[in-house]
Amino acid sequence: MDAGRNSQANPMKNRTSVERKSERELVVSRIINAPPRIVFEAWTKAELFQRWWVPKSFGLTLLSCELDVRVGGVYRLVFRHPDAPEPMAFHGRYLEVVPPSRLVWTNEEAGDNGQVTTVTFEERGDRTLLVMHDLYPSKEALDAGSGSTDGMDETFNQLDELLAGLSAERS
Amino acid sequence: MTLTGMKKHVGVLEQAGLVTTEKVGRVRTCRLGLRRLEEEVMWIESYRQLWDARFDELDEVVEELKRKERVDGRRKK
Repeated sequence: MDAGRNSQANPMKNRTSVERKSERELVVSRIINAPPRIVFEAWTKAELFQRWWVPKSFGLTLLSCELDVRVGGVYRLVFRHPDAPEPMAFHGRYLEVVPPSRLVWTNEEAGDNGQVTTVTFEERGDRTLLVMHDLYPSKEALDAGSGSTDGMDETFNQLDELLAGLSAERS
Repeated sequence: MTLTGMKKHVGVLEQAGLVTTEKVGRVRTCRLGLRRLEEEVMWIESYRQLWDARFDELDEVVEELKRKERVDGRRKK
């Protein structure tokens, strides 16, 4: 059926997984069908990076892309989206650069609430296990970034209290 | 728990989308609403789709680099 046709059209496609590891961590992983040195190259050369970082299907246009990939070096990406009046800039600096296995960078567009991103490229035969780990300074920063509610814990605590109160009244 | 305290709690839950309430006569019935949890699940799925789309295009870039490497390798021999 559909699945069969898809896998025929793209037999090399691997699965992308996203997991919220903790209150402050988000992890994305996927197998890439190329050795780490090639994946690292595609991640660190601006002319290659800009060909995949902005998927065509998301309606974003990349206006500029500067990557100074060395420890302390800065990157800056500027996008335009039809729904946003002003272009959006994403920027930060590289904290660790270990070719071809590891990159760490900051995300500074949200000020102090930005996450620190660690990408590792692990050799798996002639393929690469890519793991991207985002560590946010607080649960609230991750929630704000994801558009989900602030203060979920508070609400759940209040729900607990409410239910405890109700069952106490019944007994 | 006092009735006033209870009303306050339900109000907070309602605002957060965790419960919905319906008043019939003197009785207000509360139901659990899962809107916020659904939002988080939906957000994670849309984030996964973004990365899936990125990786699909990354696949194309690395295939091209692999082809190039093979051609360059043959030239060097």
